[in-house]
Amino acid sequence: MDGEEENPGPFRRTSSRTRRMASRMASALSSSDNRAQAALARLDALESDNAGAEVVDLNDDEYGSTDEEDHVLMQKKQSKNMKRKTRQGKALEKRAVRSFMDVLQEANLEALPPHVPTYLRAAVGPPSTSSRRHYCSVCGNSANYTCPRCGTRFCSCRCQVIHNDTRCLKFVA
Amino acid sequence: MTGGSRVVVIDNGGGLLKAGFGGDNDPIAVVPNCIAKSPGSNANSKKWLAADQLQAQDVDVTGVTLRRPIDRGYLINTEVQREVWERVLRGLLQVDPTNSSLLLVEPQFNPPALQHATDELVFEEFGFNSLCVADAPSLVHLYEASRQPSLFHSQCSLVVDCGFSFTHASPVLQNFTLNYAVRRMDLGGKALTNYLKELVSYRSLNVMDETLLIDDAKEKLCFVSLDVPHDLRLASLSFKDNPFRCSYILPDGITYKKGFVKDLDEARRYCSLPVEGELDKKDGDRDIDKDRKKPELSQNEFALTNERFLVPEMLFHPIDLGMNQAGLAECIVRAAQACHPYIQPVLYQSIILTGGSTLFPRFAERLQRELRPLVPEEYQVKIISQENPILGVWRGGSVLASSPDFDSMCVTKSEYEEMGSARCRRRFFH
Repeated sequence: MDGEEENPGPFRRTSSRTRRMASRMASALSSSDNRAQAALARLDALESDNAGAEVVDLNDDEYGSTDEEDHVLMQKKQSKNMKRKTRQGKALEKRAVRSFMDVLQEANLEALPPHVPTYLRAAVGPPSTSSRRHYCSVCGNSANYTCPRCGTRFCSCRCQVIHNDTRCLKFVA
Repeated sequence: MTGGSRVVVIDNGGGLLKAGFGGDNDPIAVVPNCIAKSPGSNANSKKWLAADQLQAQDVDVTGVTLRRPIDRGYLINTEVQREVWERVLRGLLQVDPTNSSLLLVEPQFNPPALQHATDELVFEEFGFNSLCVADAPSLVHLYEASRQPSLFHSQCSLVVDCGFSFTHASPVLQNFTLNYAVRRMDLGGKALTNYLKELVSYRSLNVMDETLLIDDAKEKLCFVSLDVPHDLRLASLSFKDNPFRCSYILPDGITYKKGFVKDLDEARRYCSLPVEGELDKKDGDRDIDKDRKKPELSQNEFALTNERFLVPEMLFHPIDLGMNQAGLAECIVRAAQACHPYIQPVLYQSIILTGGSTLFPRFAERLQRELRPLVPEEYQVKIISQENPILGVWRGGSVLASSPDFDSMCVTKSEYEEMGSARCRRRFFH
């Protein structure tokens, strides 16, 4: 008990100390985390349909309400064209909101034996050479420099000025 | 079983839906597989435009909100899909589903939950008589083998389907896709369009809401570079010396409702576009537009330089995007290596390119150059570009639907009602 109580004490103290001492380091560390997140978010954004709407991210009531109205409209249309809505139809509607990634997780493909070809095993996997080429975020040339704050690439002094003035820390446009 | 009724063939792509009747040479409808709503109609009319309505000449696609039934290549939103099919089947094909059968092209590795949802849509919502599910690579092989005797004799090919949602390299042997050897890259036309959108928005003009316009710009202006460092150097030259620079004009909603390339000669200056005829046709109205446009160099246009080849470049080097996946060439090699060594040389000799994203000029040439060093020296590398990569899968479906034993491959509605989705699916070897 004693040991357990004592252990978190000094741990807490040291952690608060390092936070105060190396604030710049800490911010750099957290920003590297942000960078990884930003990179993932960016890849995700590449698969989205309405980038604008999703960046606004549902705090815009307009989109939500149109969706609902749209469902109402669809139902009206269907009732005109087709017979009544079945229970399955309604269930389908609810399920329809899921993204493919949700379905994939539900399918639990990892549980299958390794010889069964699945969606996950069909992925091509990492490249044999990991040499990544970087392009300047401002002009598109091959970029040799990295912004120390946000990790975005640029190629020249001129582009750095533009980057710092307008784009720094704006990850996904 | 299906009697004298016709077979509806649908290639339900993420970007374009291709629908027509089995036995025909071309589909009747090639329409965007989405519904869209323009921002202006928010308040008064809540009308969503479906499929072909988006292609109409007078429709302004500026800032539309899109909803697609397909996410990452798989049919997720059956609600939206029904809207689109409703429009295509009743409006364009004018067919009654209850007395026709359906050949549906489905992506590989479709999870059972989604297969089930698709079956429900086909049998319960639309009430099709019978359903046959096929995968794209085997249809492409079927179609090409019916045209090329060499493929017909070797009975196998490696189909590279670079479509809207993803890219597959799939070996096909005797009309069956070897699913254990299929390799997938999660990069397709959609990601490329969004990437171009991001670049343009970051560099010149915010076009994040203009998916359809940027799609059009991508199709008209992007090409594959054969030597990226060299082209990058050329692209960094200033205005007049820069052979890649060209601008795309966005519609202003008054004079023109469609976006277009400002100067096609300028656009073609460096990349030799193979589809000359199509471009020539547009030359006429382009001249008028130019005269009209010239005085006001408004903010309604954006210029592209190195973006034109850096965007398709991502297919060959996804890691440049931060995506930890091998490029297209390596993807093909891995697919071939997963097969029996005896058929590998034949696979390399018959690589068939299909899918809309292979339409970038010089795509095949670049692939050949990347592939050659990766393939063992003693094997020949031969890349076959389809005559029309967008319709390739559909045409294969049309061939299959008109074959005499098509009826025996179908699952009928009564079988579905009796046995349910899972049992019926076993017939399709998925």
